[in-house]
Amino acid sequence: MSRWRIRHATIYRYAEAVDMASHMLHLSPRPLPHQQLRWETLACAPEPARVSSGLDHFGNRVTWLFLDRPHARFEVVAEAEIDVAFPPPPPAAATPPWEQVAAEAARSGPVAEFTFPSPMLPEHAGARDYVAQSFTPGRPVLAALREVTTRIYRDFAFRAGVTGIATPVSQVLAQRAGVCQDFTHLMLCGLRGLGLPARYVSGYIRTLPPPGGTKHLGSDQSHAWVGAWLGPAHGWVDLDPTNDLVVRDEHVVLGWGRDFHDISPLRGIILGGGRHSLEVAVDLTPA
Amino acid sequence: MVDGRGQVRPHWRRLLAAFSDLPQDYAGNGIGEAARRLDRAFEDEGITSLLPGAAQASRAWRCDPVPLPLPAREFAALSEGLSQRARLLERLLADFYGPQALLAEGLVPPALVFANPAFLRPCRAEGRAPAGPLLTTYAADLLRGPDGAWRVLADRTSRAAGIGHAQENRRMLARVVPNLFRGQQVRPLRPFFDRWLDSLQRLSPRGPDNAAIALLTPGVHHPLWFEHVLLAGELSCALVEPGDLTARGGALFLKTLKGPQPVDVLLRRMDGRHLDPLEFGGHGGVPGLMDAARNGTLRIVNAPGCGMVEAPALAALLPALCRRLLGEALLLPSAETHWLAGPEALAMVLRDPGQWLLRPAFDGGAAARHPARMPEAAREALLRRVAERPQDWAATRDMPPSVAPCADGERLSPRPVVLRLFLAQDGAEWQVMPGGLARVPGDAEALAGRLPQQGLAKDVWVLAEEGAAILGPAALPRQPLPIRRATGELPSRVADNMFWLGRYVERLEGAARLMRAALARLERGPLLPREFAELTALSAALRHAGLVQAEDMPSGAASGALQAALWRALREGGAVGRQMAEIARLVEAVRDRLTGDIHTLFTLPLRAVQVQAAAQHRGQQGLEEALAGVLRYSAGVAGAAAENMVRAGGYAFLDLGRRVERAQAIAAQLGFALDQPASRIEGGLRLALELCDSVITYRSRYLGVLQPAPALDLVLADPGNPRGLAFQLHAIRRLLTDIDGGPEHDLLPQAEALLATVEDMPLAVQAARDPALAAVQIAPRLATLAGEVATLSDNISRRYFALLPPAQSLGQEMAEEPSVLFWGAA
Repeated sequence: MSRWRIRHATIYRYAEAVDMASHMLHLSPRPLPHQQLRWETLACAPEPARVSSGLDHFGNRVTWLFLDRPHARFEVVAEAEIDVAFPPPPPAAATPPWEQVAAEAARSGPVAEFTFPSPMLPEHAGARDYVAQSFTPGRPVLAALREVTTRIYRDFAFRAGVTGIATPVSQVLAQRAGVCQDFTHLMLCGLRGLGLPARYVSGYIRTLPPPGGTKHLGSDQSHAWVGAWLGPAHGWVDLDPTNDLVVRDEHVVLGWGRDFHDISPLRGIILGGGRHSLEVAVDLTPA
Repeated sequence: MVDGRGQVRPHWRRLLAAFSDLPQDYAGNGIGEAARRLDRAFEDEGITSLLPGAAQASRAWRCDPVPLPLPAREFAALSEGLSQRARLLERLLADFYGPQALLAEGLVPPALVFANPAFLRPCRAEGRAPAGPLLTTYAADLLRGPDGAWRVLADRTSRAAGIGHAQENRRMLARVVPNLFRGQQVRPLRPFFDRWLDSLQRLSPRGPDNAAIALLTPGVHHPLWFEHVLLAGELSCALVEPGDLTARGGALFLKTLKGPQPVDVLLRRMDGRHLDPLEFGGHGGVPGLMDAARNGTLRIVNAPGCGMVEAPALAALLPALCRRLLGEALLLPSAETHWLAGPEALAMVLRDPGQWLLRPAFDGGAAARHPARMPEAAREALLRRVAERPQDWAATRDMPPSVAPCADGERLSPRPVVLRLFLAQDGAEWQVMPGGLARVPGDAEALAGRLPQQGLAKDVWVLAEEGAAILGPAALPRQPLPIRRATGELPSRVADNMFWLGRYVERLEGAARLMRAALARLERGPLLPREFAELTALSAALRHAGLVQAEDMPSGAASGALQAALWRALREGGAVGRQMAEIARLVEAVRDRLTGDIHTLFTLPLRAVQVQAAAQHRGQQGLEEALAGVLRYSAGVAGAAAENMVRAGGYAFLDLGRRVERAQAIAAQLGFALDQPASRIEGGLRLALELCDSVITYRSRYLGVLQPAPALDLVLADPGNPRGLAFQLHAIRRLLTDIDGGPEHDLLPQAEALLATVEDMPLAVQAARDPALAAVQIAPRLATLAGEVATLSDNISRRYFALLPPAQSLGQEMAEEPSVLFWGAA
């Protein structure tokens, strides 16, 4: 088990005053059998006129903030302490053939949702073909999934700044580079092309300081990875193509959806404001 | 119409007999004449839009004079069947937006929910049942097959469009051909609307007393805008656009002159996906609206997301679902429809595609494709697409709809008919409107699509039971309700539109007056130096008003360029043409605030002027006639408004806009008129009197002696001269007091300061040693004054119309789901 302390600060600065703002936050970690929340706080400035919260369609925790006074700066800081210990995945060879998983998914309601294209991830033959190379007939699903995770890690360069939050999978495939969101989207798109349920998981990962250096405060980032379904017996397993890992205890889950759009950490509608700048600082430290 | 033995059914016999009994002035059997009168009535009503681009399509919707009669027993059976369907669809929605047990049980394939673009995830919260009922209005499109049985072609669960049109058809038919209703036992529609309104009020989370209901429309450019106006009138509720609303503190408010007023029930005529950009993406809608709905302070009718059960692919499952959820057999079946995701269904359809209508599996509003009627290449391409992705398609068996007689010149011809019936939940049970919208689809028009923007419709008569009380003509003349609310509850946008309508109508009139004054001088042939000086001053005023360009200014005797420029200004796209188009847009935007009569007075003469302006002959006389038409129009608008609109509310802003515009124009024009050498002051004064329409008044007061101070007193300071400046400023002061009531606000002092300045001007001229010099020295001060009136206008806008800065989204640069159709009208 690992105990983590998370601090996720977001600051928007506006060139002109914002008259009214509405924000929708997916910044509260989702309680899970293997992820227990010890405490959490959410602070924002200026003080919102209204705060409401609830669960979304996927069962993630959502917070809505409404500001109705003019402001030129908006800051929201989410902090939490959490215990994480995801169990090891089943032996790959013990998982069912992927074709069987796909057939079962088509029949089981909530899981099937993650086999369909989604707003940011329309069907894409290139992504399907890329992923399909690992899905040889009859292969145990987890064996194929592990291989895809490794291939993406090997074939694609991690490069910040070459993609944005709405970059399509086709562009990621073409330039063979991107960030965690891009690799996750590519893998989701390919798996769904094969009829396999796959979901976008949003959260955090521990990062290590560069060799010989010290870790800077706020240098961690929001992270994203793939949740894949292994059939009714084994359920979901999380795979991180950016780091070629099966998720164990260095990740913290915020929540999941079909793609980034369903679970973006913070989005909003502002009236006024002119140009804006965004500053995000994330710290994940052992507690 | 004809029964199995080739006999005309009795209810048709009675109806057709009524046509032959029409009065003498209906030529022949009366059918052709009735059709012509109906067409004219719809045109006069201005269902025809005045908006640019729509002017050519002269008839949006037409109504056939022959109604579609439904005998009492037939209607009762349809009612029972549709009510059951409505109950079933509500249960389905409650499950899809709640526990999703039907998916877990395998009764509904997951794709029907999760691949359905009308399944709106923001409307579902895991582990929480939706606050029902979700579905409180419902419509269905029905076809009667060759076997005489009605079948449902499409369920309309999102918005049930067309209900306003149905009521309009009835109202028009009763007005234009009242005799048709004699002796017929037609059930009236109004009681249904009363009950519907009542049930909408009871849906209010605050309780039914004083429930504030608003009808949300995307706005004046929506193809069904007119229906939204009709429906808002019928239900006596506010007609609002997203920009009129604001969500605060977990509740929804209408922005009015007196601040935000709560909205309890929102009857939406927009796709749910455009209600809240925070939740659904995009930029339209009201951020926080869904929060208000979740918070329980706002009820949206129908709940967003209800459209998902319109999916044609669902139709095949309804019999089984009805047994499972209601424990009943489905009474009113769908037209035979298959979802092609299964290989057998696909094979069956591909074997004989001509027998089927192909429809997108999840979009009940999309037009059906008819392979039998497609050219071969297009058909093959469609079938290939279907075979590639069969899960995206559903097929409905093509069934020739039964025909009904329709007016065809002087006689009747059988035409196919699709019937749309409407239902509303009254809290206990479903009520079916005893009437409906029967559509006669055009030859090329696919069945089972959204309501088209134009077409032929029939009134639907539900006949009362034999022996029931006979109801007279169901004429429901719209009550003349010029303005419903006191000033305070007037939505800011309506006030804004009224203000600008007033300004533009006045600006149009001012332009016509200036142009006419210039024309009169061109007519005189060679000009005296004095006249030429006047023409130069007029040209400067014309140029200032943006009506002509610098190069059009007269130089010497050549003034033909000016005449040509005036023509250009008048035409579509010219300065005056644009003013007329803007007036048409504003009239349409405040349409729900105008009676039918007033609306007619505001639109028909304007259309006549537009036609005149577009005429090919360019002569001076044509120009004069067009300008006379403009002046008649503006006088008609002013008269109709003054005589018909209550003083509170919209009229105050209409008048305020008019006064502000006139004050500004008078100040600017007198500035140009007086911009003369002191020696020519007489010409300037004469022009000033002419522009202010005060020549006769001056002559009657002062005979022929023209002097600066008396003339300026009449056009500037006399509070009794409606074409003078002081009159406008007095009116502005009074209107501002009426609108706000309180003496404390800061606009009044501004108006009073302007008035004091104006009153001082003739006094100063009177007292001056050289009045002529003093008079010409006023010219620059008048130009400044015009600017100060413009500032006052800006301050009025800022204070009352609260224009908000544009919305932008953060953290979701992706626009909106590509499958969303903004203009979805079903």
